[in-house]
Amino acid sequence: MALLETRNLSKSFGGLQAINNVSLKVEPNTVHGLIGPNGSGKSTFFNLLTGVYQPDAGSYIEFDNINVTGKPAHYIAEHGLSRTFQLLRLYGELSVLDNVLVGYHPHTKYSPFAPFFNGAEVRRQDKIVKDEMFELLEFIGLAEHAEIPAAELSGGQRRLLALGRAIAMRPKMLLLDEPGAGLSPVNVDNLMATIMTLKERYKLTIVVVEHILKVVMSTCDTISVLDHGQKISEGTPEFVKNDPAVIEAYLGREMADEDIRAAMDA
Amino acid sequence: MRILNKMFAGVVAAGIGITATAAFADDIRVGITMRMVSENGQAYGQMMMDEIKGINESGGINGNMIKATLMNDECKSDKGVANANKMVFQEKVHLLIGSSCSSVTLPIVDVTAKAGVPQLVPHSTNSKITQKGSEWIFRVPVSGRYYGGVNAKYVGENIGTKIAYICAADAASVGDCANMEKQMKARFGVEPAYRADVQEKEVDFRSHMQKIKSMDVDGILVAALAETMARALVQSYEAGIGEDVRRIGSSSASNAPVPKIAGDAAKGVFFTAAYAAADQRPIAKLFNEMVKTRYGIHAPDHDFSQAYDLVRIMEIALKNTNFTGSLADDRTAIRDAIANVQGYEGLASGPISFCAAATPQCRDGNRTAVLIGYTKGGENFETEVLARVTMEPDFGLE
Amino acid sequence: MGILSFMADFIDSLAKRHRLLPWLLAYALLLPLPFVLTILFNEYLIDLANRICLFILLAVGLNIVKGFCGQVTVGHIGLYAIGAVTSAVLSLEPGGFGGALGFGWPIWAAIPTAVLVTAFAGLIIGLPSVRLEGAYLALATLGLGESVRIFIAVTPALGSSTGLMMIPAPRIGSFVFDSFTSYYYLVMTAAITGIYFSFSILRSATGRAFQAIREDTIAASVNGINVVKYKLLAFVLSAIYAGLAGALFAHMPPGYLHHNNFTVIEMVTLLLMVVLGGIGNVWGGVIGAIVVAIAYDQTKDLVFYFMDRPIVFQPLVFGLSMVLLVLFMPRGIGGWIEDFQRNRRFVRRSEERLSGTARNP
Repeated sequence: MALLETRNLSKSFGGLQAINNVSLKVEPNTVHGLIGPNGSGKSTFFNLLTGVYQPDAGSYIEFDNINVTGKPAHYIAEHGLSRTFQLLRLYGELSVLDNVLVGYHPHTKYSPFAPFFNGAEVRRQDKIVKDEMFELLEFIGLAEHAEIPAAELSGGQRRLLALGRAIAMRPKMLLLDEPGAGLSPVNVDNLMATIMTLKERYKLTIVVVEHILKVVMSTCDTISVLDHGQKISEGTPEFVKNDPAVIEAYLGREMADEDIRAAMDA
Repeated sequence: MRILNKMFAGVVAAGIGITATAAFADDIRVGITMRMVSENGQAYGQMMMDEIKGINESGGINGNMIKATLMNDECKSDKGVANANKMVFQEKVHLLIGSSCSSVTLPIVDVTAKAGVPQLVPHSTNSKITQKGSEWIFRVPVSGRYYGGVNAKYVGENIGTKIAYICAADAASVGDCANMEKQMKARFGVEPAYRADVQEKEVDFRSHMQKIKSMDVDGILVAALAETMARALVQSYEAGIGEDVRRIGSSSASNAPVPKIAGDAAKGVFFTAAYAAADQRPIAKLFNEMVKTRYGIHAPDHDFSQAYDLVRIMEIALKNTNFTGSLADDRTAIRDAIANVQGYEGLASGPISFCAAATPQCRDGNRTAVLIGYTKGGENFETEVLARVTMEPDFGLE
Repeated sequence: MGILSFMADFIDSLAKRHRLLPWLLAYALLLPLPFVLTILFNEYLIDLANRICLFILLAVGLNIVKGFCGQVTVGHIGLYAIGAVTSAVLSLEPGGFGGALGFGWPIWAAIPTAVLVTAFAGLIIGLPSVRLEGAYLALATLGLGESVRIFIAVTPALGSSTGLMMIPAPRIGSFVFDSFTSYYYLVMTAAITGIYFSFSILRSATGRAFQAIREDTIAASVNGINVVKYKLLAFVLSAIYAGLAGALFAHMPPGYLHHNNFTVIEMVTLLLMVVLGGIGNVWGGVIGAIVVAIAYDQTKDLVFYFMDRPIVFQPLVFGLSMVLLVLFMPRGIGGWIEDFQRNRRFVRRSEERLSGTARNP
């Protein structure tokens, strides 16, 4: 039984078909890679899954046996689908601890009016949640920075915080949008190791979009390849690597040197 | 952080400054709250200050100086009340003068009534001001209840009863319209032939004017503030309504911007006011000359004359007051002295008299309105006095 | 620096014993203020303090929607008007002296009803925030707020141009809140309670959701925050503050309301308080309200002469200070407060680390 399933997922912006009839299944407890050249629609695909964009008519998205097609982002998040952003989108002026506390938001048990009527209950529950979030911060190594504003963290720490915030809501599935962008190869390896530990610890299913093919090839169970908004290949890393369609898509056009090298390394 | 400490020191210094404002015991303290926002508005307040300075320079009140404080209330009731409170409780004034706007004077009446401070009203015409039953209130201008009667009487007897009304939404104009309508109904049993309620600063009257044109009315009442009225007058001619249809202005027609902006369209417009610059009495001619040289204003409107009359009435009352040094007693004595002013003849169109009872009959001192017509518009406008009407003290009360 | 740190340490040590202790201490210190002011200065300053309390309620309320949630609203003054007029009309006697509408309700029923009505109006003023942002939202809320004022101005039943007058003062039994001092206890209690609840909101999940929306709307929605619901909630909460301030303003002697108490100029004054205080900082808003109200009071009789014509000083002072503030102190007084708090926290953490007593916050 797939945890996430899309059928005929499409999205066009004006005349541009960003995503074209993509059907995809993600099995529970796997790491599913999503690759493709620049502009192939990977980020749009994430935005459709998480409700940031509304899909075109005829599309269907099912998450955890619930039809979430066209549902607002917060509804989908409440059902356990979490994500990170390529540009992180941290809450810069909020403290590190508050950032993960916002991530926990869907599980808040008191009503928004509770601070007026039941301050004691708010404080009691917040205390429990804060301890729990502090544990999470300790795990990702940000505990000693808990009180400083997120904007004052270093680049690597911010990537970790983005990850922590996404995990704070105890998701069933985590979508990672280029988690390694801008990091040095060593740091990328460290980050991926952390992600894998988190996966085990929190029983996550992960879908990862990544430019650095080496990362994808080494960690993913299944890989889907997007090109021009269409799924052109899917299978194990070994299968995808040798699929002529994929090679055509990657090499048949201009691409960054780094990407070619990375692809060849894998 | 040093700057925070500096700020703290500043606050302390400001606090000391507040205590330092306590005045000399022998001064007679007068507080004035006025709408000081327009050019004329500032000139009214300035004239009062200048006149009070004049009294001080010629020996003061039986040797005592008057210390006047002028504050701006922007024609807003909350600010006016704050000013009144500040002057009554901080400046500890003997007498309060204010305000220009009825909507500011109305709440201040309650402040002075409760604190026991005599209050002289310079400009406000709303009839409810004196109906609140305060013992401490005295009105120098003509109450709105008289204006409506004078206007209606003259219009019905000399022009006709088929009148179109254009009423803007500001306090004075709404009152003027309502009073006129009420009096036309009471005297002649007629309803308005046409009535349009427009915005306070309406700019487009053309559709109303076209409708009025097709109705063949005897007159059009334009009740609005000066600039708005001027626009309406100009547009009435642009719509082709002839000169035979008389244009009637509300009380603000006496303000100089009306003939200045309306130009030729102001000719033939008439209105009721408490003072006419066309007044031929020597005192009026002297006054016109004085306002022109001092403030550069051609043909002062009745707000100038009322400000001037008010200072004279205050002077008379203060000279008749026995000051004991006890603030409460002095305030009461000033109140009684004002109530004793009888038949003051100044710039106002008729004599001003007060009496002791806390009734509108006693406290609306001026009952004579004058009907004024513009004979020429533009920068150097000219006016003529059409009629002078004195009303019964009870007139317009329910 | 020294005295401030000492005070901050003292407040911290109180808060450690019991969360409410600093608040009770503040309340206890403010209780004798009317007597202190009367003895040291004069009674008028109590009236000024009362108005400052109303401004504090308004500024703290505005800070929830603008500071916490980042929604630019210029309609707050319209909500203030709704609270004031509703409570006034409900409590006025039918067929009273002013000729306006009246229902003759007891005041203690009129005020909560007015607050509820204003909360609902806040929902409506907040509706444009679902689709609009920034300057467009400001324009839409400005229009809504101003239309409230115009509606009052043209409706005789709501006072129109004559205003609502002789609005009764609150009373308990035979005790009437009609003096500066007695009213002070009403508005001061309301202001302190308002500030307290503002912190309660800020420190709950509700406040964190508001701030998340301010910082990044898309990230907030993906974190499971119902952005529309929370934006509207911020408007409703701030409307509750505005409604309470309005109702207390209506019943404050001499009990008079006029639509020109609620114009754009008043809204700008309110914005000045929040901007001076530092957007998003509760204490900043409070200090902003105090500073602006006192500055306004102290400059109101300043007239200077230019070519022998009197020029009223105040608008000039306020216009200039607004421009200078935005240019040179964009974070307002709240910016200083935050820097101060952050420095203190940093120093404390370093000390704890040195002495080996570091703990989880």
